[in-house]
Amino acid sequence: MPEISKMRNIGISAHIDSGKTTLSERILYYSNRIHAIHEVRGKDGVGATMDSMELERERGITIASAATNVTWKGHPINVIDTPGHVDFTIEVERSLRVLDGAILVLCSVAGVQSQSITVDRQMKRYRVPRIAFVNKCDRTGANPFRVKQQLIDKLGLNAVLMQIPIGLEDRLQGVVDLVAMRAIYFDGPNGDDLRYEEIPEELKDLAAEKREEMLDAVSLCSDELMEAMLEENVTEEMIYRAVRKGTIALELVPVFMGSAYKNKGIQPLLDAVVSYLPNPTEVTNTALDLDNAEQAVVLKSDENMPAVILGFKLEDGQYGQLTYIRIYQGKLKKGDELVNTRSRKKFKVGRLVRMHASSMEDIVEAGCGDIAALFGIECASGDTFCHPSLNYSLTSMYVPKPVISLAINPVDKKSADNMAKALNRFTKEDPTFNTYVDPESNQTIIQGMGELHLEVYVERMRREYKADVSTDKPEVAYREAISLKAEFNYTHKKQTGGSGQYARVAGYLEPIEESDEVKDYEFVDMIKGGTIPSEYIPSCDKGFQTAIKKGTQLGFPVVGVRAVINDGAFHPVDSSDQAFQTAALGAFREAFERAKPVILEPVMKVVVEGPTEFQGNIFGSINQRRGVIISSTEDGASCTVESEVPLSEMFGYSTVLRSLTQGKAEFTMELAKYSRVPQSVGEELKTAYIEKKKKEQK
Amino acid sequence: MEIQELNALSPLRAFDESLNGGLGKGNLGVLVSRHGIGKTACLVHLATDKLFRNEHIIHVSFSGNVEHVINWYKEVFRQISENRSLEDAAAIYNEILANRVVMNFSQENISVDKVLSSLETLIRQGSFNADAVMFDGYKLTVASEDDVRKIKQFAMDLRLEVWFSVSPVRPDVIFDENGVPNTIMKYANLIDVLIGLKYNEAMDKVIMTLVKDKESIDPKPMRVTLDPKTMLISE
Repeated sequence: MPEISKMRNIGISAHIDSGKTTLSERILYYSNRIHAIHEVRGKDGVGATMDSMELERERGITIASAATNVTWKGHPINVIDTPGHVDFTIEVERSLRVLDGAILVLCSVAGVQSQSITVDRQMKRYRVPRIAFVNKCDRTGANPFRVKQQLIDKLGLNAVLMQIPIGLEDRLQGVVDLVAMRAIYFDGPNGDDLRYEEIPEELKDLAAEKREEMLDAVSLCSDELMEAMLEENVTEEMIYRAVRKGTIALELVPVFMGSAYKNKGIQPLLDAVVSYLPNPTEVTNTALDLDNAEQAVVLKSDENMPAVILGFKLEDGQYGQLTYIRIYQGKLKKGDELVNTRSRKKFKVGRLVRMHASSMEDIVEAGCGDIAALFGIECASGDTFCHPSLNYSLTSMYVPKPVISLAINPVDKKSADNMAKALNRFTKEDPTFNTYVDPESNQTIIQGMGELHLEVYVERMRREYKADVSTDKPEVAYREAISLKAEFNYTHKKQTGGSGQYARVAGYLEPIEESDEVKDYEFVDMIKGGTIPSEYIPSCDKGFQTAIKKGTQLGFPVVGVRAVINDGAFHPVDSSDQAFQTAALGAFREAFERAKPVILEPVMKVVVEGPTEFQGNIFGSINQRRGVIISSTEDGASCTVESEVPLSEMFGYSTVLRSLTQGKAEFTMELAKYSRVPQSVGEELKTAYIEKKKKEQK
Repeated sequence: MEIQELNALSPLRAFDESLNGGLGKGNLGVLVSRHGIGKTACLVHLATDKLFRNEHIIHVSFSGNVEHVINWYKEVFRQISENRSLEDAAAIYNEILANRVVMNFSQENISVDKVLSSLETLIRQGSFNADAVMFDGYKLTVASEDDVRKIKQFAMDLRLEVWFSVSPVRPDVIFDENGVPNTIMKYANLIDVLIGLKYNEAMDKVIMTLVKDKESIDPKPMRVTLDPKTMLISE
């Protein structure tokens, strides 16, 4: 079993198309896990090894994170390839949870793009130490110095150059290592042979200057280095130690560079992973003790402690269900007994494997800090598995609510069966993907984070599960709310033979004030003198909770409402739990109409990047979509426009943007907030809803 | 307090009065001071007051960090709304946000032509009906006379009120007793309103002096000052 201090769990995270998958591929090649290099959109038709799904190969994007194990100079490294598109953020977030460090890949031409900002924000949330790799230095317009400055300006990172390039664009030859002060060239057809030489004459001054800059920045993280600098006896070892310390403390981001495609700069990057990113013992992980009021417990990277394991990724492969796990405490052996703390189910560890992107290796045990995979475990993504003596749950991951839904209809009976199987699998794999059957239309509805997110699942159903489905137009997940306080006094009475029903509830509804954290619902009991007996108070609460599931305007959930009851009446014989629930439901509907209800819609933060010459088209396209331009930044030939646009206006935007800008602009979006829809739009929605209901009744 | 009342009581009314009713469209106004006196805050307060009165603003910055500018607006809004206990503040903030665009140029030495063409693009193609443009930290003192003339023409053509905040940092610049640098005076004939900001230690206030108002060059103190703590204009 590998020594824990040598182990590294890293992720590769970046903007789409910055060459992340190509980089992963090179890392696999140099660490001898694969014997030939395949390009993402390669001519050989094999595709990069990390993109295991057929669909990813076709679209040239990476969807699911595949974990793979490599060894570099005696250090086992688990590499987790993460998707770049924002619709798959949950995948990114989930993999960040299990990483101890990351490589932030940036394109040397495009620099820090909006996606890099999103990814960086996620990394900050999970406190992931990172090193940066400026890729594509062979491209026209490459400027790693500018990218480093952007890391400082746009991301607020203390970025420090550890290398400078030897030549740029098509003359890129290698890099200068500013710690050892030597030039590195990459010889051989695949850059396998490293040649170390003196720094070229024309770069000596620049290298000396950048080394000074680097030492100044790094010495702030280390007293030892600071002193050594004053006494002028700095050693390489001291620099390594200081950079490592600074990086792990998140005070420093060392910057490396090269071109994955041209096989330049990868081996020094792997050295940096080993030198500067933490091993599992250097990162603090906590769990919640469910037996002790969810008190946070610090986990120890100790093999002899009882095991605490996170299942962070499910995959349905040809051999059955595979669960990717990370061991936070203790170790895991074949035959060990574990408990799933969510379902409280016990199970025995059967087959334990270590994963390569599309092949696997059976292992007998996995040590603390390691990433491995289990076979045939019944669980959902994000479940915690513990030694039977513990009842811990690893902190729940932040899961955003879905903003879009789509009705899907299987084309035949066989597809219907397969679709059910597929949906069952997808919902387990991806917490941002929901599904339910609409009781009114009897249609299956899927919900997710964006158009592309749902599209990919529909495609996967077709390919992996042979479930052919037709889809309706995607629909926005609206919310309903009230804008005024309104009182209610509602009596529910049914006394027609047999045991009757009687309940009266009085009180008011009011909007919950806007604050940082808007609650969806609050119930306040202000009953005095027992006008409603205490045993029926929870019934009222329940009745209101049923009511908020469906607003009266569009049938969407009601949010931000406080229900207060302050009076009521009961009947000694005819009152019941059911009667009070019904009364509360009726009271809510009565007051809701009078509380000036409004419709809320998801508003997305949309960031468009493209050449300045298309700025006008970009502005125009946002303006036509009820969008608000927040800012526009021009930097040389490119501009970035930040705006807020209602999601309902964003359908098909990628096609529109492509044609407006000759395909030279791209955009990302994420949920910014829920806002009131303008009255005219609200009226249209209501009319459409009434029409739809009428049709269903026929 | 409601928004109409807040506007009526705003110290900016006294500011406008000092200028005989404000700068006016088609005119250039300049706030000038040494570095670090609070000219950005002052500019943002001017802009916020316009937003409160339903005007549309373009804020032009050259800093490279949009977040920074947006935070200034947030802070100025927060201070004003808390001071006056503004009703429904969150909703009003969201509403006025739609009337403000921050345009940022992070490229060094960008040409005036480029800046003006981007502004025109936003106004015409983005259908953004701007009433005023605030140039934050524009290096007016090293701009050519021709550049300033182009901006003036632009302001007249598009009916815009244009404000600059200027604080030269070159060591050879000499500031007079009103906080006005000598380097700005060569444009005096192109500028319609020039206001100097200078910190007065005895009063612990930033004194605002109206150095030039339209045709008259006769420096006189304004009724308003800048509070160095809140960085807001006050009476």
